[in-house]
Amino acid sequence: MHGRKAYQLVKEFASGEKGQLKPFNRELFGRVLEECNEHHGALQSLIRKMQEEGLDVQTARNADHYGALIHHLSLTRNKRCLMAYMYNRAEIIRVLAWKVGLLHELPEEIQEKLSDSEEEYFKDHAKTLKSYMSQMGLDVNVDMVPPKDPYIKVRVLEDVGGGIILSDKSANFARHSMHFLKRTDAEQYIARGLMEELTS
Amino acid sequence: MASYYDIDDILTEEELVPVVFHKAANGVIIDPSSETNSVEQGAKVELPLWLAQELHWRQAVSISAPPCFNQKTRLEIQADAACVDLRSRCPYFYEFGCKILPLVGDKTIEILLLSAFKIRYKETLTKAYTAAYTATSKVLTLLTREETNLYEAAQSSMAAFKKWRMGGPRLQRASVLGRKRKPVN
Repeated sequence: MHGRKAYQLVKEFASGEKGQLKPFNRELFGRVLEECNEHHGALQSLIRKMQEEGLDVQTARNADHYGALIHHLSLTRNKRCLMAYMYNRAEIIRVLAWKVGLLHELPEEIQEKLSDSEEEYFKDHAKTLKSYMSQMGLDVNVDMVPPKDPYIKVRVLEDVGGGIILSDKSANFARHSMHFLKRTDAEQYIARGLMEELTS
Repeated sequence: MASYYDIDDILTEEELVPVVFHKAANGVIIDPSSETNSVEQGAKVELPLWLAQELHWRQAVSISAPPCFNQKTRLEIQADAACVDLRSRCPYFYEFGCKILPLVGDKTIEILLLSAFKIRYKETLTKAYTAAYTATSKVLTLLTREETNLYEAAQSSMAAFKKWRMGGPRLQRASVLGRKRKPVN
């Protein structure tokens, strides 16, 4: 059936949890592209046939015209499905760049799900954001609600090692240790799931 | 008009509608009963909505009401709309209905959609606010996509209200990373 594979591709995207990425389905994506080429071939051969019969392609309304029309519509439908698949994934990747990617690489299990061009998109987007923020001298990615206290208590959930840059002090961030940190310093580690905020 | 990239809109347009061809078409494999690669004039076929509506606008096919708006479903909805399993009939019941309406010119579908939605809207919200978490799975299987969204919105507003009242950590792990945690070694 026409457009069935493209539908499966979109359906697969929709069946995932909202806002979560699934692995990029290269195989199905490629097959939809193949199908597009088939439609294109069929469309051209039908038009050629009409021209050979001496008909005006613009105005003739015979069986070949409707055959060609159906192929044309299937092509645009496939295109829409492919575009929607890419676009909606790109949207999630952009969110990723805002949430976790500004200072760090993506976690491996997410990186595996991206296609090559998506990886590049992610890197470029994070880079653009970073350069914008350094030009403005403003971190646009912090919590929008003004804090009651600039310091918060956090617990380290995973071994972070020495990779932590703090503005006012240094400490040993072993797993399960608790710290009293500046909120702006801690935010990015909490977003990545390396620390959790403790409330009293 | 839905956005070009709207996933739900794309899925809605994949629903099948029964059509009758007024014009023959060559070189397409659409009619499963046909032995050649073509569709005869007068052939009755089921086509996805995206194809059917374009052909309808060019007067190549005529569309009749799809099976999810048949007499049986109407009677069930009239009896008790809240208990009808709309998801198995068509997960995009309302959106599909709105799209099919101008194509078949059946005004009763409009009334059917409105009355079904009004009754089910109330039921869905009531259940979302009151039902215990474990009892929800049975209710959820009956809902269309739109109603599921509604249900989840109601539940998350409830959860947000509780969080606001009880207090809790403001900063949390980014939800894009998924729920899974790495196993502790």
